[in-house]
Amino acid sequence: MELLGLVNYALFMAIFICIYALLALGLNIQWGFAGLFNAGIAGFFAVGAYTSAIISTPAAEGRIGGFDLHFVFGWIAAMLAAALVAWPIGKICLRFRSDYLAIATIGIAEIIRLVIKSEPALTNGARGISSIPRPVGDIGYMESQIAYLIIVLAVLIAAYVLVERQFNAPWGRMMRAIRDNEDAAKAMGKNVEFRRLEAFIFGAALMGLGGALFAHFNRSITPEAIDPMVATFLIWIMLILGGSGNNRGAILGAAVVWIIWSVSEIATDRLPHEYAIQAKYIRLFLIGLMLQLVLRFRPEGLLPEPLRGDQRATKSGADQH
Amino acid sequence: MKTKFIALAAGMMAATALASVPAKADVKIGLIGGVSGPIAAMAPAMIDAAQLAVQQVNEQGGIGDGEKLVGVVGDSACNPQGGTDAATKAVNIEGVVGLVGPHCSGAVLAAAGSVTIPAGITLITPSGTSPEISGLEDKGTVFRTVPSDDYQGRALARTMKEMGYGKVAVAYLNNDYGTGLANAFKAEYVDELGGDITQFAAHEEGKASYRSNLAELAKGGADTLVIFDYGDGTGLTILRQALENGFFDKFVGGDGMKSDAVINELGAENLATFVASSPVGEQSESLTMFNDAFKGVGGDPDAIFANTSYDAAFLLALAVEKAGGKKEDVAAAVVEVSNGEGEAIRPGEWKKAKELIAAGTAIDYKGAAGDHNFDAKGDVPGTYALFEVGSNGFETITEMK
Repeated sequence: MELLGLVNYALFMAIFICIYALLALGLNIQWGFAGLFNAGIAGFFAVGAYTSAIISTPAAEGRIGGFDLHFVFGWIAAMLAAALVAWPIGKICLRFRSDYLAIATIGIAEIIRLVIKSEPALTNGARGISSIPRPVGDIGYMESQIAYLIIVLAVLIAAYVLVERQFNAPWGRMMRAIRDNEDAAKAMGKNVEFRRLEAFIFGAALMGLGGALFAHFNRSITPEAIDPMVATFLIWIMLILGGSGNNRGAILGAAVVWIIWSVSEIATDRLPHEYAIQAKYIRLFLIGLMLQLVLRFRPEGLLPEPLRGDQRATKSGADQH
Repeated sequence: MKTKFIALAAGMMAATALASVPAKADVKIGLIGGVSGPIAAMAPAMIDAAQLAVQQVNEQGGIGDGEKLVGVVGDSACNPQGGTDAATKAVNIEGVVGLVGPHCSGAVLAAAGSVTIPAGITLITPSGTSPEISGLEDKGTVFRTVPSDDYQGRALARTMKEMGYGKVAVAYLNNDYGTGLANAFKAEYVDELGGDITQFAAHEEGKASYRSNLAELAKGGADTLVIFDYGDGTGLTILRQALENGFFDKFVGGDGMKSDAVINELGAENLATFVASSPVGEQSESLTMFNDAFKGVGGDPDAIFANTSYDAAFLLALAVEKAGGKKEDVAAAVVEVSNGEGEAIRPGEWKKAKELIAAGTAIDYKGAAGDHNFDAKGDVPGTYALFEVGSNGFETITEMK
């Protein structure tokens, strides 16, 4: 019984890690590749989650949809919708440099949240959408978790392979060139604005997909899920800690941060009974402390960005003489 | 470096797994609440009230064969991410027989959808008021001790119509609580009773001034403002600014507005035209028993949702006792111990209940926040009364039907 419970809990964590890893991969395209400081992850996450919910739920009264389509259509639509929302935003906001872009995207995520909360005809307002079908969800508790884990894992691996391919392709090198020295890239004839927009939209599409996976797992989506703490900043922490610019780092960061976030609560529950409520804040503290330590002692993250130039230099031993 | 971190994480998990093996046979229930997050100010009193029920059970003989009941506190942070995480841990790591909470409707929907319904664990929320919860396909495992917003909104509309209120303007907080109440109120007041709502507007919480909202609301010529908000938060600001500027003559609030903060801040003499609806225990004796007991452990019985939290925990304990500790039977037992038939059990009467259950007699829990006779959807009808402000705080004017 204990063991079954542990397995169930591990499955749950693995599913959440996969979902967060997708979000972190999306952010890695934007920040790691292209240097775009997007602090509005929650907005794209929400667009994806709600789009997929509207597409795949049965028809409901008082709001648009549902269209009762297969979840695959919902997920594809989630990516498209997030990309579509990202396009005008990127068109306007990507002219801003790093921290200004962050401020603009925080604002946009907040606008999206408020629209979702205030438009019952679109999203059922503050009540949210429930009875979203979970793929292979009618079987037992553990079986259904295993099935869902297989699906999200497949999605994550596919996303990882594609993003990693892009990273090593000329496109990835060009993006890094733009990130590191915009003027030089421009002088080489690269269309900087367009490439930036590309990265922003690709990243947003992955975030939308993450949102859709989240909504189907919980069988419901409510505006409470668009909390910037858990849908934006936690993902930033994952990417920074794992190593921005490295796709494996993004996934590792998601795993490490979520495991510490989740497991530390069990650890703090061992504190005396009187501290039960206060103890809940320890994990917030732990995440903050971890970020501070990583930024102080390992600013490049656990798995730093692979830099070819450095590798070549070390291999040839040119610096060692 | 990488392996070190993985090893650390794995080590933490292993340590946790070892630590979570119970030393003796305790019966655990999960108390999942929004400890951190937007309702952090409300959650501690709610969890304390639930812990009071646990404490009473243990003082009066414990569960089953003298086993100890333990309330495991989990943090849902008032969002689905935290809610499912906390519920998964409670169900799988702690092995709870049932959950009290989560507190916020979004967390309830997510935790029920992805954890408790598939796992067949009973969930009783003391404060998830969203009508969406009624519609869950839950195989009878999801309950709540707080009435759906739909019910209160409609009851308030009927009572106001009866009392002769005319044109009203409605201001509601833009969350599931405010929206749910306001829409139900509107549906009943306008569509069913032919009343007149001149303005119907949502507002966001935490702003310093709502004067522009109020000026907009006052435009239709209504003399009454209906506020669906919290009296210790934004609702107080709105009421104060409406009084200061004389936008409206009369004020009506939902249960969130029946807060002592309103009287303390604005003064009873200024609130002669203010009324608020609130759930009341049908047998106020039950409420008194809870209030005395909660004061005895240093709690504030007027804290919002404290009595529903207590009832949820006590009901769950009764159901566990009735089901003989079998998780899969708890949900059915919740209905059995509170269906209006059998010997009445009031808050704190654990010993009596235990003896009756052992003897096979039917019992009926009459809780602090109402009788809790669950319908087929796991909802309670709730008993509401309209309150006005008198010299001794809130006083009942009339029962709401």
